[in-house]
Amino acid sequence: MTKAKKYWKGLAELNDNPLVEKLKQNEFVEEIPVDKFLGDKELSSTSTSRRDFLKFLGFSTAAATLAACETPINKVIPYVIKPEEITPGIANYYATTMYDGHDYASVLVKTREGRPIKIDSNKSATNARIQASVLSLYDSGRLKNPMKVGVDTDWNTADAEIITKLNKIQNNGGTIAILSSTIVSPSTKQLIADFSAAYGNVKHIQMDAVSYSGILDANEASFGVRVLPTYNFDKAEVIVSFGADFLGNWLNADYAKQYVAARNPKNGKMAKHYQVESTLSLTGSNADKRIQMKPSEQKGLLSNLFSALNGGTADSRIAKLTNDLKNNTGKSIIVCNSNDTEVQTLVNSINNKLGNYENTISLSNPSYLKQGNDVDVATLIEEMNAGKIDALITYNVNPSYTLQNAEAYNSGLAKVGLTIATSLYNDESAQKMMYACPDNHYLESWGDANPSNGIYTLMQPTIAPLFKGRQFQESIMNWIGKSDYHVYLQNFYTDIDWNQSLHDGYFTKNQFAANVTLFEVNVPSFDLSKSEGVEFEMYEKISMGDGTQANNPWLQELPDPLSRACWDNYLTMSAATAADLGITNENVSNGALNGNMVNITVNAKTLKNVPVMIQPGQANDTVALAVGYGRTAAGKCGDGIGFNAFSLGNGNAKIEVVGGEYEFAATQLHHTMMGREIVKETTLEDFIKNPYSGNKQVTYATHNGEKPADQVTLWDEHDHSTGHFWNMSIDLTSCIGCSACVVSCHAENNVPVVGKEEVRKSRDMHWLRIDRYFSSDMTKELSKKEKTSAFDMYEKMEDPSGDPEVVFQPVMCQHCNHAPCETVCPVAATSHGSEGQNHMAYNRCVGTRYCANNCPYKVRRFNWFQYSDNDKFDFNMNDDYGKMVLNPDVVVRSRGVIEKCSMCIQKIQEIKLDAKNAGKRVRDEDAQTACSSACPTNAIVFGDVNDETHEVQSLKKEERAYTLLEHLNTAPSVFYQTKIRNKA
Amino acid sequence: MIRINNFKSCILLIAVLFTFSFQVFAQPDSAQAFAQPDGAEIFKANCTSCHIIGKRSIGPDLTGVTKKRTADWLKKWIKSSSDFIASGDADAIAIFEEYNKSVMNSFYHLSDEDMEALLVYLENPPVEEVKVAAVTGATKDEGMQSSTKMMLVALVLLTLVFLLTSIKNSLKESLGQETETVSQTVITQTKTFLANNINKLFVGLFVMIVVLKFVFDTLMGIGVTTSYQPEQPIAFSHKIHAGDNSIDCNYCHSSARSSKTSGIPSANVCMNCHANITSGTTTGTTEIQKIYDAIGYDPDTRTYIEGYVQKPIEWIKVHNLPDLAYFNHSQHVTVGGLECQQCHGNMEEKTVGQVATMQELNNISSNKKDSIEFDHATLTMGFCIDCHRQSEVKMDENDYYTSMHQKMKVKYAGQKITVEKMGGLECGKCHY
Repeated sequence: MTKAKKYWKGLAELNDNPLVEKLKQNEFVEEIPVDKFLGDKELSSTSTSRRDFLKFLGFSTAAATLAACETPINKVIPYVIKPEEITPGIANYYATTMYDGHDYASVLVKTREGRPIKIDSNKSATNARIQASVLSLYDSGRLKNPMKVGVDTDWNTADAEIITKLNKIQNNGGTIAILSSTIVSPSTKQLIADFSAAYGNVKHIQMDAVSYSGILDANEASFGVRVLPTYNFDKAEVIVSFGADFLGNWLNADYAKQYVAARNPKNGKMAKHYQVESTLSLTGSNADKRIQMKPSEQKGLLSNLFSALNGGTADSRIAKLTNDLKNNTGKSIIVCNSNDTEVQTLVNSINNKLGNYENTISLSNPSYLKQGNDVDVATLIEEMNAGKIDALITYNVNPSYTLQNAEAYNSGLAKVGLTIATSLYNDESAQKMMYACPDNHYLESWGDANPSNGIYTLMQPTIAPLFKGRQFQESIMNWIGKSDYHVYLQNFYTDIDWNQSLHDGYFTKNQFAANVTLFEVNVPSFDLSKSEGVEFEMYEKISMGDGTQANNPWLQELPDPLSRACWDNYLTMSAATAADLGITNENVSNGALNGNMVNITVNAKTLKNVPVMIQPGQANDTVALAVGYGRTAAGKCGDGIGFNAFSLGNGNAKIEVVGGEYEFAATQLHHTMMGREIVKETTLEDFIKNPYSGNKQVTYATHNGEKPADQVTLWDEHDHSTGHFWNMSIDLTSCIGCSACVVSCHAENNVPVVGKEEVRKSRDMHWLRIDRYFSSDMTKELSKKEKTSAFDMYEKMEDPSGDPEVVFQPVMCQHCNHAPCETVCPVAATSHGSEGQNHMAYNRCVGTRYCANNCPYKVRRFNWFQYSDNDKFDFNMNDDYGKMVLNPDVVVRSRGVIEKCSMCIQKIQEIKLDAKNAGKRVRDEDAQTACSSACPTNAIVFGDVNDETHEVQSLKKEERAYTLLEHLNTAPSVFYQTKIRNKA
Repeated sequence: MIRINNFKSCILLIAVLFTFSFQVFAQPDSAQAFAQPDGAEIFKANCTSCHIIGKRSIGPDLTGVTKKRTADWLKKWIKSSSDFIASGDADAIAIFEEYNKSVMNSFYHLSDEDMEALLVYLENPPVEEVKVAAVTGATKDEGMQSSTKMMLVALVLLTLVFLLTSIKNSLKESLGQETETVSQTVITQTKTFLANNINKLFVGLFVMIVVLKFVFDTLMGIGVTTSYQPEQPIAFSHKIHAGDNSIDCNYCHSSARSSKTSGIPSANVCMNCHANITSGTTTGTTEIQKIYDAIGYDPDTRTYIEGYVQKPIEWIKVHNLPDLAYFNHSQHVTVGGLECQQCHGNMEEKTVGQVATMQELNNISSNKKDSIEFDHATLTMGFCIDCHRQSEVKMDENDYYTSMHQKMKVKYAGQKITVEKMGGLECGKCHY
């Protein structure tokens, strides 16, 4: 080396860019205004020297430290007069009815010291939204005060003005319209009738955000009654759904329990479930056979099915389905999600042809959960625009958001003289109306409901109104000069034992159902054709529903069971279509998912920069977007998230790829099991032949010959023989992936919400997650046959199939009895309990995260930040109202500690104590965790395996029972039951 | 510098020191009351709910009643006023009419002596003093603290130093050598001692250990609230209620049997008695008035004030358990059958609530009976663990335990089945 080499820092330096020279000279590009600061006259004139400053600093630090040493004085403030039913520290349960215009359920509300903190089901099922509704009660974004044109007013003023205006309208012979959600409350209907009687010309229009008008109108045409039938899926042997997500959102009824009852492999038979759909739904993911189609093909296929049942030839795709239906007349159900009256009439004809009415489908026992009428709504909008409506009162609806033609509605609204919104929120619609009257949350209200014929449920307040709200019923009573809806309600049901019914939450009563007339309609017929190009379809997510609870952080952070993404909606698209359009989904360096964006135009409306999520199972040339997002007046949590799919409506779509990448927050970034037996599955046929099929025990070769994994161990066994041994069984055949358990766990265990950014960094805090796996086109068997290399095989296995089979697997802490986490904790913060749980002492944890690293199930969660009282995480734990939902028996974890599923140890301790106090053994039905009690299909069973009266004991001995990653021999207290599909 | 040459003065010093130390042991004698019908007691037990001396209440003011009526008349009235009225006594009927025909209770159980004592008391009733509430936060420790012991030892050692020096000086004096002061001796001795490096090392180590121990103890003492007895908004005395009047602890702290908290009684529970008892023995009406101020009660008319804006009483929490620990009273009181005193000490002998000391709890008879001896400060985790290690689970007559008990009897044959054996030391049982 004779000459030192010259290295350039970049091309700019080589090219002798003057800026480079300048940067070299000056450390900062811009001049730092030091002189200005030092030249400050005031600064130089002060006598505070640097030494003084340090003295003050030192003193204040010392003073603060000393002050902190003092034991804080806590006050304890008892009631002045203690209500008889409240004992501090003991929960009270009230039966009530959840109804928000979309979801309905009879529920049990757990209250502590007068605060509702948890929703449990009351002889019916709850979904994720119903579980989360308790947090919506404490939403500080609710409408708190009556408002007039956006300005706070008080009830007296508002009432006086409204009554004057209504009277004026009445005197002028004007028309008043009440636009509400489906009213399931008979007494409210009576009140609306009273209101009509008082003001004369009153129209009552019901609308559902997700409309079921088509099926109602078809039933009116076919049977003369505009009602929904009740479906008995448990009596069916063949279930065919054309796009209806009846396990998730369709009709908002709890059909999951019936469905699972019809599909119990122990009975030796399972109802065969076909799903014919374009967008992969929760129901479709559970189907035995899923057939993909474009939405435009639906009516043609149904028409083809009808003709095939009448002797015609069936399309090849539905040939087997048709055959199965023919062999099971009177024992099948056909349901369809179409909102087209003609299509639904065709569905009725098929069901009638198969003899399903009064066997599996009951019209003599109708359901009243959906009553909305699209024609009425359209007429109302026309009349509003024509200036024929003088006053509009809305209740439980948000038409400016949920209507496809919201612009027409909004313009009509401007022509209505008096507009009154009774609403929980100052939402998109209420903001456009003259008066916004705060409604009460269902947990603050009295009420009743008549969900189906002869069944009534009651609603009772479980807390005094948090804000200055007044329930709708009370409001309209006020406007006709009456008061006290509570008394009105009691007088409405004079023939029942009020207290007993209120205690139970429901009562039955003979109810007259309209006579069903004979079926006499022309069966519409459609060609088997499909439209060209990409078709758009909107769908409902299990988390967001119609967007009523969009401001609920639990729901926003609930991962979608299929895409596993949260805090978003996105266009779902098949991999093939995406490849055609040149759209990709990519994982960035930290594993997080990014997607391309498109502009989508449907029905002459365009949404810009919509991200695309490649979704296995989505039919080619179709795209779908979930409703409930794109809210603009939902509150701090729900605003500006996603896009409003309601505004597009179904139809043909024009898609234009635009630049840029969109960042998703997905909680699961891999899609397949890569040939591992994480979820074990088999077919019904094989299961009947050999109950152990699909559940092959893992063995190891030892010097004593082959031995099952659980006998090859270095560990000492814990002795669980004397006391309780809590175990949990999760039946993967029954688990439909509905995620009710996830929200229930959130509510019970004070699990924090961390927000989209943190979820994207895989820092979600869910104690319980539901893993979803798609099948891949590549299998180990196929690879052997085709002689592909292992490398190619695994690479291909990574890609999910375009037409996948889907499995769901709830995974929480497995409470290993040979726990890998326990051995690595340097401070013994996690340790094993004699009752089979893996304990976690938060205050002992120093946050090394060794346990999380050593956990093969990846169920341990680390508190990267303080999630409570932190403005950076502005969710319910940073809100005085939101904090009221916290379970006082469970610690709110602090920053820097690991947390994880405790198997609801607080609940176990409580039931044990209750049993000790009562001097009895713990009953099987009392032994529940938050997830097991929320499970609508009883897939999660919890109990004491040392007690023969507990169901879990026999489940542990089932042939299907296996433990997750059993080759590791962690001996978990949680075990799974093999998934069985009916492939016959 | 004290220079002690005199043997006598040494003896004197020792005597003084010993006297002083004995005073530490001295216990004040409590005066015993002698038994005899006490008019004041009878009045307090039977009459105060309706009669206030010096003031008309539900019943008449009894000042000078012995002068107004004969003893015979009064005795008849007290025994059974309704019988007396029925007998047609004009005065009796007049009083009955005057007080809206409200009947005074009959007191058949009072003997003639009792009634005479009562009348004697009424002849010279004490003048009601308006007493100002003085909350005494007296903390009295039973037994001797370890620091006191240390001080005694130090004193004895110091005395020895003086004593030996003086002996040495006396000897030196007798030999005609030069004497030295105590400090001189100490300094020279220390210098010789520290000249050895090994000794230096040991002294250094010793000092370090002492300092570390001090730091450790101080840090461990943070949050330990033994003897904590804050001043309360009402000078409520447990001694008067639970001690003198033998009210069951669970009467006021009623949820201790059913809930995780023992519960601070709400004002309406106080009113069960204090609707009638308007004046206290030590504090007069001032403290009880605070209950009335909270709930809105007029003690003169004995009625609740309508439309009164109630103000809850803000008590100071004495037993502060951190949020990270779950404790349930009913588990211990109802299931475990513990007496309140086993953790809270003899509250019936104290005034305002106080965290009992470990020594006090170790002297509680029920703890001795259950052979529980605490070795850690009250309300610390060690305190809980001490008991869980030692106390036997009461499994009989509770069907919850039946099958467990059968199995445990075999597994732990011949051993006491303690809470520990039921899993009572596991982290997750209390921390979740």
